[in-house]
Amino acid sequence: MTQETKVKATFPSIEWFNALRDIINDDDAYRHIGTCDAIVGVKVPDAKKHFLITFEAFEVLAAKEVSETEAEDSDFWLEMPDARWREMIENIGENGKADLHHTLNTIDLEDPEGFARSNDGYRRDAFYRFNQSFQHFFDSSAKIDTKFA
Amino acid sequence: MADESPEVPEDLAQVANGKGIPLDLMRRALALGFPAEAVKQQIQLPGADAEQAEKFIAEQERIRAGGEITIPEELAKAADKNGWPEELIKRALALGAQAEMLITQMEAGIRPDQAERFIVQQERMRDAAARGEQALDLSWMRVPTEWGIRARPGKKGLTVSAINIGSYASVPDVWPYQTEMPRGAHPIPGIPAMGYSIYEKADLWADNAADLYEEAIQRRWRPATDIPWDSMEPLPDEIERAMCQLCTYFCEKGLLAGDVVGKWLPEMSYGYHEVKLYLSTAEFDAARQFEVFRKRALSNGGGMGVQSPGYFHRAIIDTRVWTEASAVLHILSNSFLIGMYQVGEYVAHNEAESLIFRLCMQDVSRQIAYGVQHLKQFLLRKLDKRAEVHAYLNKAEAVMTYDEEQDTPRREALIILLGGGVSKEQILDGVRKLEYFKRRWVRDYVARLDAAGLPERRERLHPLLKKYLEEPTVAQAAA
Repeated sequence: MTQETKVKATFPSIEWFNALRDIINDDDAYRHIGTCDAIVGVKVPDAKKHFLITFEAFEVLAAKEVSETEAEDSDFWLEMPDARWREMIENIGENGKADLHHTLNTIDLEDPEGFARSNDGYRRDAFYRFNQSFQHFFDSSAKIDTKFA
Repeated sequence: MADESPEVPEDLAQVANGKGIPLDLMRRALALGFPAEAVKQQIQLPGADAEQAEKFIAEQERIRAGGEITIPEELAKAADKNGWPEELIKRALALGAQAEMLITQMEAGIRPDQAERFIVQQERMRDAAARGEQALDLSWMRVPTEWGIRARPGKKGLTVSAINIGSYASVPDVWPYQTEMPRGAHPIPGIPAMGYSIYEKADLWADNAADLYEEAIQRRWRPATDIPWDSMEPLPDEIERAMCQLCTYFCEKGLLAGDVVGKWLPEMSYGYHEVKLYLSTAEFDAARQFEVFRKRALSNGGGMGVQSPGYFHRAIIDTRVWTEASAVLHILSNSFLIGMYQVGEYVAHNEAESLIFRLCMQDVSRQIAYGVQHLKQFLLRKLDKRAEVHAYLNKAEAVMTYDEEQDTPRREALIILLGGGVSKEQILDGVRKLEYFKRRWVRDYVARLDAAGLPERRERLHPLLKKYLEEPTVAQAAA
């Protein structure tokens, strides 16, 4: 019996997001959810790491490391302390997907400022409109052997 | 010898007289084998006059008498570029085709073999008419709509936006027809009106409607098989009852949303099909909302709860213009509904509930997106209506807050689910969390109105909503 070899990558890094992009773009289950069009920023403030992920039609078009300002120039950006990022990704790794207490929506509700933030009330709603696609995206990090910086 | 000139039908004669074209010219056109209806359509076109008709008919008569067919230089160049043989061009000209029209067809990508099939068919008709045989009219094939359109699929396939090209992309500010004619088709006289009441683009349009339609179709889901129903396990009685009470409320909201949209759809004219298409998916989404929450209520040992007072439901269904209905249903009501869905996902006890609420969030957020974009373009186009929009919201917010005060079952169900039970500590925790979430709902509602171009609403909110913007943030929900 062969064992699946996981891609190794460190969070937060562009390699980690590129690995996730590759997994998603080869995933029929993601495509089955339907089209998703959004530009999503990711902010990991303690590490001073910022990323921009472009979701287009049935794929993740690009992931790139950007400045904080560029990360905020998005439909919305996801922001929480490093420890919370780690907790979420570890939870996904342990369960194969986020458990009921670590979904994007739950984390968003628990933070008074919100996990999904935006400068535009209309564009922020992309977080809800494509929520299942984003959840599937982060759940797919269970397929990465993640190390933390 | 008897005169064998064809008779000019009365309706053709009427049009010719109106245009100042001699009836003799019409007889000559009919003698050439052109169907009367086709002749009528040609002379009805803008710019058609007696001089142009004479020139065209004389040229056709010359060709029929064996005269040389001359191909205009521009047409010859286009034919050469697109691989249309000279003989094919001459046959088309012999049939009366205009050079400009042939160039348009070539540039639109019509291949020579496709053109030849059409030309053969036209030649048969012409010859049959010349022999006095009965032939198909086919004048409808000369419909003066834009022809040769070749939309191409993009990354998302052939979408509604992708076919909005050429004249078909033009969305008029006012739709002048009262019938079921789709945009871009050619109207015919005498069709009874359908009784629409919304003809102005400003009164229903949203730039995102076509994309929302495709999004709704792409992201559709099936409660029967997409939800992991077997993940549900028995819950404490008070939790099951609270969840079922909320499900009852969500069922009511689903039916109401369907009724509101269903009432307004027949009022919207056909010129704005993008909006009609999107709203028909919103109706389906509303039906699915009813379906999934009824299924949740009846699948885990519980049942339906008590109905809500319904004051706000009536305020929504009694709205008098679509923009009012949309602002109240899609922005005000749905901002609080999506907040409750978020809470439902937050307190989910199993994978089934978690997924149900996430998927419903997606559906209702499309309705919010339509509502925000519609209100935005309404305010941009109808500068004098800003105060009226505030009046709609003043009334709706007042009824909604009153309804909320009266709806004890819904409020207590939320408190029990957020606190996790009915002990004193749990109730206190539930009350504290509910206040925390209400603050978020009001914040999001105001942010959406801000995005719609109504930032001053923040200052004009109903006092029972405004207080949530003014009070300091309490401790986070998970504390």
